[in-house]
Amino acid sequence: MSEATLDATPAVAPDAAPQRLDPRIVTVWRIVALIPTAILVFAGAGAAVMVGWTWLWALPALFLVIGGGRALALPPRQWRAWSWRVGEADVRVERGVFWRHSTVVLHARIQHVDTHQGPIERMFGLARVLIHTAGTVGAVVEIPGLAQPTAEALRDRLAALSGAEDAV
Amino acid sequence: MPSDRDAAALLADGERLHPLTLLFTAITTGRQLVVPALVGGFTTRGGGVAVMIFVLVGILAVPGAIAGVLQWMAFRWRLAGDDLVLRSGVLNRQHRVIPLARIQNVDVVQGPLQRVLGVAELRVETAGGTGQAEATFRVLAASDARALQTDLLAGRRSAKAAAAPALVADGESAVSAPEPPRVPAEVLAKLSTRDVVVAGATASEVGVIAAFVGGAFQFVDDLSISQGLVRAYHATVGYAGGTTLVGLVLVGAGLVVTVLLVGWIISIGGALLRFHGFTLVREGDELRKRYGLLTLHEGSLPLKRVQALRVEESLFRRPLRLATLIIETAGGVPVPGQPQQSTGAEAFVPIAARSDVGRLVRGIFPDLDFDAVTIHRVSRKHLWRTARRYALPVLVPLAIGAGALWWFDLTAWLPALLLPLPLPYLLARWQYAHHGWGLADGYVLGRGGILNRVTWIVPDHKVQTLHEVASPFQRHAGLATVVVDTAAGGGRVMVMDLAAGDARGLVDLLRERVREAARAARRAARAPAPPPPAETGGYAADFISGAGSA
Repeated sequence: MSEATLDATPAVAPDAAPQRLDPRIVTVWRIVALIPTAILVFAGAGAAVMVGWTWLWALPALFLVIGGGRALALPPRQWRAWSWRVGEADVRVERGVFWRHSTVVLHARIQHVDTHQGPIERMFGLARVLIHTAGTVGAVVEIPGLAQPTAEALRDRLAALSGAEDAV
Repeated sequence: MPSDRDAAALLADGERLHPLTLLFTAITTGRQLVVPALVGGFTTRGGGVAVMIFVLVGILAVPGAIAGVLQWMAFRWRLAGDDLVLRSGVLNRQHRVIPLARIQNVDVVQGPLQRVLGVAELRVETAGGTGQAEATFRVLAASDARALQTDLLAGRRSAKAAAAPALVADGESAVSAPEPPRVPAEVLAKLSTRDVVVAGATASEVGVIAAFVGGAFQFVDDLSISQGLVRAYHATVGYAGGTTLVGLVLVGAGLVVTVLLVGWIISIGGALLRFHGFTLVREGDELRKRYGLLTLHEGSLPLKRVQALRVEESLFRRPLRLATLIIETAGGVPVPGQPQQSTGAEAFVPIAARSDVGRLVRGIFPDLDFDAVTIHRVSRKHLWRTARRYALPVLVPLAIGAGALWWFDLTAWLPALLLPLPLPYLLARWQYAHHGWGLADGYVLGRGGILNRVTWIVPDHKVQTLHEVASPFQRHAGLATVVVDTAAGGGRVMVMDLAAGDARGLVDLLRERVREAARAARRAARAPAPPPPAETGGYAADFISGAGSA
């Protein structure tokens, strides 16, 4: 058998450049961040109303400012921090605003690939791709915030590229 | 693979477990009932309530016994073609079919009672990787257990031969291939009693055991230990009249020494019980281990399943030029409730001369010269970052202590607080000196640890994912951490605080090496294996090609 046929991968070109996530994920992240903030604000406000101390209102106000500020400022930075790229032999995922992570998964090490949608993601037509490996630290490599057709295409593409070898 | 119906038919007259199974089931159930019974008996100190508890336990034992008999009757197994078929369960009937080619590890374990009675427990593990045995035969006659172990492993070999058509040599059907000839065995490690004693004497668990013993001392209040200590104190220090500080310190020190000594002896005893007669042998593409004094463990592990090696030089062992070798395998989530903690490390060498480690490593990774690998240090900034990290947990208590001393007007003792001050720097120095990484042809190495020095060896083709991580502080300092992930439980090579450029370079380099290793493995899997050579003097090479076959 020739070297070429052994190493031939399905005719799918690698990505030319790192890909970004779908911009709509920013809204999803904002909503997800605002839910616990809203709960805390309402709980704090409820406590302030019941107890009746005026200074207690500072608590829900604080939650509002911190949670709201975080929900406003962080998601766009998170969107900028995420990137992914399907290379010739591997998938590279970069993430992290403060803690930067760069993960490399070789196609030969992919066990299987899933797509997953939370309820809010589904509302926006987004999904995430979960790449499972046999690793312990990198057991699941996740790419969130992809348009559903993109996610499914990526899943199928990776499944085809990963081949049928015994990765362990 | 037989269907459920076929399996049922096969198992109608399948093999059964040894009748003594009932005894051991009774013992296990008994153990579960004994503890509450004892607790009940002790807390109520006899009397009517205790009798009631015992009667209750007795009543509960009867359905337990019946259940045990029914379970024994329901458990059936059979070697059918290329599969091991089992059926178990009384109410929930469970059929299990284990393809022989999937079997990774077969252990035969004999507890002391089992050895006396001539029975044994057989545990079969597949690549499922939860660390739990896929099939446990408890118990079989000892000779049956060993025969089954051989059959399962031999069946695995011939099942694999059937699965890989390229291995058929001359048109002869693989299924009817003769039993594979024995391969010459290489003894990797064989521990003498003295070695085992040394292992127990230098074990780092001594501290834990000592703490346990110390705690146990608290429960022997009723006995005259405390009185004996007071007498001993009076005898050694003399009737110095009253409790002086020196006297108290002596007694305290004596107590600590006693506890440590007892702990040490227990550690040695434990090592003897556990590791007596330890032998690790490499046979072809398998590692076989055998150890134990009361409970005898015999197991085999295919080399393909080895994910990484770990060389541990603990605090007590390093000065004696000793080390421990641990063979890391896949899965390895510790399973609570399992008698042996299954951490994915099913094979190991408890103690070895440091100079011998190179040979041991070569026995498992034949193309690696462990002693020749250069370990590179990381950025010097690692030293200062680590020192800063350790400074906080040391400085805060010292500050609190200083404040307390000042408050209680004991400022004379303040200089004593200066003693632990260099500690963060010393620890950081140690950590920096130990931390490093290295590359060999086909392997990645990582080293680390403060008091214990641990070296990881990961073959390129066992690397799963690569990570480069940078915390905000690291980014500010231009550093990054590289993580080489494996399938071994808790096993990854972590290289901290590399210069950012070096980190990226290392990840790129490893990526290429792993890619090349994957390519090589693919090639080997598809290439036809060489035909087995003619028998010479009773030995012949194992007819499974070493690399690449599942």
